[in-house]
Amino acid sequence: MSTVVNVEEKLFQNRYKVDHGRPHIKIRQPELCRNECKVQSCTFVCPAACYKAEGNGAVTLITDGCLECGSCRIICTELSNVEWEYPRGGHGILFKFG
Amino acid sequence: MSEKFDVIVVGAGPSGNAAAYTAAKAGLSVLQIERGEYPGSKNVQGAILYANALEQIIPDFRDDAPLERHIIEQRMWVLDDESFVGTHFRSDDYNKPPYNRYTIIRAQFDKWFSSKVKEAGALVICETTVECLLMDGDQVVGVRCDRQGGEVFADVVILADGVNSTLARKAGFHGEIQAGNVALAVKEILFMPQETIEARFNVKDEEGVVIEMFGKITDGLMGTGFLYTNRDSITLGVGCMLSDFKQNPNRTSPYAMLEKMKAHPSIAPMIAGGEMKEYCAHLIPEGGFHAVPKVFGNGWMIVGDSGGFVNAVHREGSNLAMTTGRLAAETAIAAKAAGKGFAAKQLAGYKSALDESFVMKDLHKYRDMPSVFHDNSQFFTTYPELVNRAARTMLTVDGVDKKTKEKEIFSSFRKSRSLAGLAGDAFKLWRAFR
Repeated sequence: MSTVVNVEEKLFQNRYKVDHGRPHIKIRQPELCRNECKVQSCTFVCPAACYKAEGNGAVTLITDGCLECGSCRIICTELSNVEWEYPRGGHGILFKFG
Repeated sequence: MSEKFDVIVVGAGPSGNAAAYTAAKAGLSVLQIERGEYPGSKNVQGAILYANALEQIIPDFRDDAPLERHIIEQRMWVLDDESFVGTHFRSDDYNKPPYNRYTIIRAQFDKWFSSKVKEAGALVICETTVECLLMDGDQVVGVRCDRQGGEVFADVVILADGVNSTLARKAGFHGEIQAGNVALAVKEILFMPQETIEARFNVKDEEGVVIEMFGKITDGLMGTGFLYTNRDSITLGVGCMLSDFKQNPNRTSPYAMLEKMKAHPSIAPMIAGGEMKEYCAHLIPEGGFHAVPKVFGNGWMIVGDSGGFVNAVHREGSNLAMTTGRLAAETAIAAKAAGKGFAAKQLAGYKSALDESFVMKDLHKYRDMPSVFHDNSQFFTTYPELVNRAARTMLTVDGVDKKTKEKEIFSSFRKSRSLAGLAGDAFKLWRAFR
């Protein structure tokens, strides 16, 4: 499957209350992603494409579109490099239909 | 908030609402804490509501619950890239009230359920995330919320905090979830006129259709797709084991899989013209019997997805959630009446009640199913293709005699799977299902 799918268009339909400046998920040690993780599976498994594989081998994370599923934390078993909390009360994704 | 309650329920999904409702109805003082803006705003489900589990809690729920369509037809499709082979079961029996199952829209349904919880007397607080459990030694005595002075106390805390089971994990009641024990599902809701849905699916009024799918749509991963008809929308989704997503050499994203599924020639016409209004993702605990953690202890019980209570084979979850929520609340009510405190010993009745109910009986029946499918991806790749090719060969009239066609089909099966493999697969399935 090589179809390029623009997930931003999907996320655009969703309602969010972003907690500016307080991301609820953090990469603990970015250098681990760059140096130790070959698969970087978060960059294609995350259903909101919050994780991006950068050209220089780094992985960057922007949580604004996060759907709060928890996948990234669970698949990062070898390095446990994802610090994952729910957003503060009332913030994050607000499903209209769910 | 330094008050003390009989029961604190964390989360306002089906399990939490069932627990809070049951406990409050029995006269216990109940505080329910929900992190979303309103109950339902963080919750995702297909969604099918099985009436029975809710009937046991709110017998007359049909009077005012927001229900979409009652299901009169169940389709099961096995797909390859161009085709599907399927079975349909449609019965007018399903048109006789009281109906057995409905499609629902969870944000609306959860809001309704929560209104019942409030009517029953529980205090429901939204927009509040519980950060951790409060312990006194090894006894859970309350929770800490992300609010000023957010410590609240209770005799029992019922953890209905969803599949990530954050609080029990932080408290060390169980470890991290295994990627092989959860499915990652994504879905879209597509709106279209009611008449369009009724014409496309051959239904009228409030009748609905469910299609469960598996095969090539999941890119060779262990997973399934689904299509549910709501009143004036269609929910379409696909989910695979998280471990399979992670290990997939094709590095297929869940949304790419969903897009490909939407473009399938058998699916595209059903959803054509639909206006997409929301895209969701969620984990489903599918580890079954062996993945259920310890579900009670000193001052705490786990209910719903947080305890892994999902029957993946039958696509049942919300009914297990409501039943576990109700049983946990009944346990708390009994413990309060007994007056001997709320240590693990006093809450052990929860586990026995679960074991006696369909919840653990069904999970036990299918206890080997997750591992059978997990170790045998041919069920999701080879067989769907073979079955579709067989149907095409047999049903295409081209002057070749049927005996020759039969031989061709049989040899195509043997080429893809040895005789021993075929027999072994049949045996594995039989053993896991029996």
